[in-house]
Amino acid sequence: MLLKRTLAPVGSWRGPFSQMEQLRRDMERFLGSYGETPGTAEANVFPPLNVSEDKEAFRVYAELPGIKPEDIEVSVTGKTLTLSGERRFEDPGQAVRHHRRERKFQRFSRVVGLPSDVDHAKVEASSRNGVLTIYLPKSEAAKPRQIAVKTA
Amino acid sequence: MSQTTETSRGDLTLNPEQTMSAPVYTPAVDIYETEDALLILADMPGVEKENISIHLDENILTLEGEATAPAEGEAFLLREYGVGNWRRQFTLSEVFDRSPIEASYTNGELTLVLPKSQAAKPHTIPVKGE
Repeated sequence: MLLKRTLAPVGSWRGPFSQMEQLRRDMERFLGSYGETPGTAEANVFPPLNVSEDKEAFRVYAELPGIKPEDIEVSVTGKTLTLSGERRFEDPGQAVRHHRRERKFQRFSRVVGLPSDVDHAKVEASSRNGVLTIYLPKSEAAKPRQIAVKTA
Repeated sequence: MSQTTETSRGDLTLNPEQTMSAPVYTPAVDIYETEDALLILADMPGVEKENISIHLDENILTLEGEATAPAEGEAFLLREYGVGNWRRQFTLSEVFDRSPIEASYTNGELTLVLPKSQAAKPHTIPVKGE
């Protein structure tokens, strides 16, 4: 499964329904969390991502439970961040019976298009408690610059 | 053979100590049964080990994880998952011994091993003769 998602820069026009879409997604996630089958709302995309931006950098967070840090591949090319890996099924041994199998074991790959250039050499990725955090500092040219207005 | 039943929302015994108004999510769970034990594996990413609580009251097993509040003021461009607490409750068909229950948490995955008590294991009774 390959998914390309290009992020619009903050404040840009994202269509009249983008806010509605976000609200619907939040509601679905909220309501879905009480349902019989958890995770169905976002089951089609793995891993789910959160992306934030500030003046200096972008931060990408991915929920990757049960995946060893060494099984995660992160690469950056131009403005594109690629995240891939595999969640391996660990055989519990002489299982007699399965009561429940809700977790998915599969290969995953996600591609995120970032709105501006990043400094490739300074990209850092770390994993803690099943959450991967990728820190992508913006390249100097992409950072907002304050320009002092001189008196002519 | 043992049974595990999920406690429906209405029957959920709410933790009176909950102070955070964070949303509560249901972790995805796998449950396996072997001859000697019941294995419960739950995906609860983003929680510190200290903030996980496992509670066994008679035969009601409650798994809870309290998320670390995210840093405020972050401007999100994309939000596909919410950060909140994890909670799920199951009713086990038999009573397990408490002391040998083992729990571990690595890479956001909680593993619980509940060894079956001697009484619950399939047991053959030898017939004695005179």
